[in-house]
Amino acid sequence: MSVALQVAITGLAAGGVYGLVAVGYSLVFRLTGTIAFAFGDLIGLGVFATLLVAVGTGPVSQTSVGGARYALAVLCGLLICVAVGVAGYLLVVEPFLLRGSTVGWIAGTLALAFALRAVLQSVFPREAYVFPDPIPFERLGTDGFVEIGGASIQIRAFYVIAVAIGLALGAVWLLERTRIGRGLRAIAEDADGARLVGVPVDLFVPIAFGLVGAIAALAAIVASPSAPVTVETWPLVGVKGLAAAAVARFVLPWPALVAGLGLGVAEAAVAEVHVGSLQPGAGWSALLPLGLALAVLAARPPDDARDDGE
Amino acid sequence: MPGTTASESVTPGRTFSELRRALVEARRAWSSRAWLGTAVFTAALLLPLVLPRDVAVDRLAHYAYLAAAAVALGLLVGPGGMPSLCQGVFVGLGAVISARLGSVPLLVALACATAVAALAGAAVGAGFARLRAVYLAVATWLIAWGFALALLASPRIVGGAEGVVVGPGRVAGVDLTPTVHYELGVVLVLVAVLGTASVRRSALGLQLEGVGVTPAGALALGVPRGAARTRAFALSAALAGLAGALAVHLALVADPAAYGPLLSFQLLVACLVGGAASPVGPVVGIALVALMGPAGEAVGRLTGAETARFGAMLSALLLVAVLASGTGGIVPAIETRLRARSRRAAPEAPAERQARAGEPLAAQGLVKRFGEHVALAGLDLDLEPGRITALVGPNGSGKSTALRLLSGGLVADEGRVRLAEHVLDALPARERVRLGIVRTLQRPPAFTGMTALDAVAVGAAADRPARAGRAFFATPAARAGGRRARADALFALDAVGLREAAGRRCDELTGAERQLVAIAAALATKPVVLLLDEPAAGAGAQEVAHLGDVLRSLRGDGLTVLVVEHNLRLVHDVADTVVVLDRGAILARGSPTDVADDPRVRAAYLGRAVPVADDDI
Repeated sequence: MSVALQVAITGLAAGGVYGLVAVGYSLVFRLTGTIAFAFGDLIGLGVFATLLVAVGTGPVSQTSVGGARYALAVLCGLLICVAVGVAGYLLVVEPFLLRGSTVGWIAGTLALAFALRAVLQSVFPREAYVFPDPIPFERLGTDGFVEIGGASIQIRAFYVIAVAIGLALGAVWLLERTRIGRGLRAIAEDADGARLVGVPVDLFVPIAFGLVGAIAALAAIVASPSAPVTVETWPLVGVKGLAAAAVARFVLPWPALVAGLGLGVAEAAVAEVHVGSLQPGAGWSALLPLGLALAVLAARPPDDARDDGE
Repeated sequence: MPGTTASESVTPGRTFSELRRALVEARRAWSSRAWLGTAVFTAALLLPLVLPRDVAVDRLAHYAYLAAAAVALGLLVGPGGMPSLCQGVFVGLGAVISARLGSVPLLVALACATAVAALAGAAVGAGFARLRAVYLAVATWLIAWGFALALLASPRIVGGAEGVVVGPGRVAGVDLTPTVHYELGVVLVLVAVLGTASVRRSALGLQLEGVGVTPAGALALGVPRGAARTRAFALSAALAGLAGALAVHLALVADPAAYGPLLSFQLLVACLVGGAASPVGPVVGIALVALMGPAGEAVGRLTGAETARFGAMLSALLLVAVLASGTGGIVPAIETRLRARSRRAAPEAPAERQARAGEPLAAQGLVKRFGEHVALAGLDLDLEPGRITALVGPNGSGKSTALRLLSGGLVADEGRVRLAEHVLDALPARERVRLGIVRTLQRPPAFTGMTALDAVAVGAAADRPARAGRAFFATPAARAGGRRARADALFALDAVGLREAAGRRCDELTGAERQLVAIAAALATKPVVLLLDEPAAGAGAQEVAHLGDVLRSLRGDGLTVLVVEHNLRLVHDVADTVVVLDRGAILARGSPTDVADDPRVRAAYLGRAVPVADDDI
């Protein structure tokens, strides 16, 4: 019981971010037919830009940031995220889409990813950083932990889950209920048709590109104080989110979101498996989402129907 | 080999002038490109003799091995059109296996590493190579990350963060010093370049390029996409594995961090920057990537940044710049500039025409429904050798559906299709091509970047044996396979009157010429039944007349021909029998004049009289 609860909490906290990333990948895929390989690095950019504005590049303790500065930092981080997302789309995706060069946008988004990572690594050369937390969770419970059914659980985790799932529900609401969302889905169904009925496609697509990155980055910023953050963390989160999107066959919005949450929980469960005193799944759990996604991709029928040229 | 030609033609007693002529011939065969290649290769081998002291030969050796892996990737990215993002995995696999087998003789370890990498490549190919480029990229990207995570998760195998330490290898009593590694690396690059160039020329290369450039067109010609791509993946992975296995004895440690997604990305960068359309493009690409390292350090010193991470950034910028130029990479850009793009001398056509005689194709009671909509409600057709049947009717009358049921693109809900005694029913399209039923597409496949000859040769190569190893080592059979496919292609081009266009690029051809190329590609599969989908679409009056001549000559060869057509002038011109479809059922059947006079047919065509001589209705 206690293990199950621990797995559920850890898994949902991670899975919420995966789900948001998966929604982002799926939306971009449906809108443009492209995979934004730089997604994870874009999130990392948002997180570390926030860190830079909040406390600079030096070592910090968890509470050394004021509420106002933190809010400003988050705002800056998200704005940078949107700006780089939009610029990235206009520079390394759209030109190749117009030219019909698949390998062009694949390599272009990968180049953006590795360039972002190089920038972050040269500004933040330390192995890991402690992210400031404006909310004093460690004063709650026993040093920030609470005992539930025999399991010791970080109280922060509930907050992270709430924010991630709240953002995910917000994203779903945005897609399903608002004018912008309907416009985006119209583009995803049929870009030319949407253009004909007056949806500003050329404006919406780059904005969506930046916005989905920012939403996922916000969830990442909220989750960051729970553990030391490294530059390498977010690219991997991006890959797991891509795996979740592939498992959900890039279907929006619920399947992508649920796949993300499910993979988060499954990953946490595998990591918790004990055989005697060993924990054989600990290192391998990260492979689970990737393996599942590969299995789903391998089971796809050959893409003949689309290629028939009819 | 030019040398052998020369020595064979020289027998005792021949005069000096004849010897000279033989030499001139040999020199002509040994093209300027081969001279350049020989010179560069020799210079590369001699480089350590003149190297300045501050350039470490082990770095050069490292990049030589990477170049071999990149050349191997070029086969997938270039002709294959497959953006593989996991080439680094095969390098890493070769390295780890060769490092773990440190106690066995090096040659055995190398063989094992190559074999395992080849198997892994075949597995990746079998799993994902049939997918569209987007999904292939996602899958290979996940594999690249998965491999990196697996290495991290198994410290016992790869020795934790420090990696597996290996001793310097010894082969045949020779210690593998960095200089020996460098020479080995240069030779491996040469073997990879020549081998992949040979694959590109072979039947396998034609299959890969056809399916990479125009999947729909190549599949309609019966190209075995999955098999061809899986073989290419296995071959490419084997080379990368061998390069990695050798490189680990140079580095003296198998460091898991070195085989992450970044390595795969760098190899892809090399392919795209250098240009994967050329076998040597990736080598130039690796050279540039190698230069980005020192350049990045220089930028780092100038800006005073704490770490020198600018190398990766410069590589990324270089890649974006080259991609944005739209030239397809440095080497292809230079080749275009020099107009050196080899328009290979056209092979001589075989003396005898070896067209197969046609066979009868019969359909009985074909029914096809799409949900509620009945596309075909019981179609009977009898196509006979030496006759042209035209299938006409308004849009949505079921013509294309009928064609796809005959070619195997769709499976009928009811009814049979028979080729002579063969019952076809649910037989897939590729098997039907093998039996001799081939179709063309309404929109002729673009075959962008291929010569007309090579595009047609895709059809001729579709059913040829295409073993990757044989093609790589240019065995006589593999070389003959590529040559014969092109000879058949030239013959087919001749049959449609386009022989002089053999060396032109398909993207330079007119729409009507491209349609003829598509028909020639279909003919190159040596069909017994030819199904044509609106061959006259968009053609001018003269071109329609030429098309009529072509079809009549095919009928003269005894081929069974069905043509779905809107152009009633062509139909009237060539058809022996006209079948008029309307809303999925046969409205009329008979000779062109009978059908044209049928009032029901006139009514079906918008309720007005159809002047048969009109160009396009």
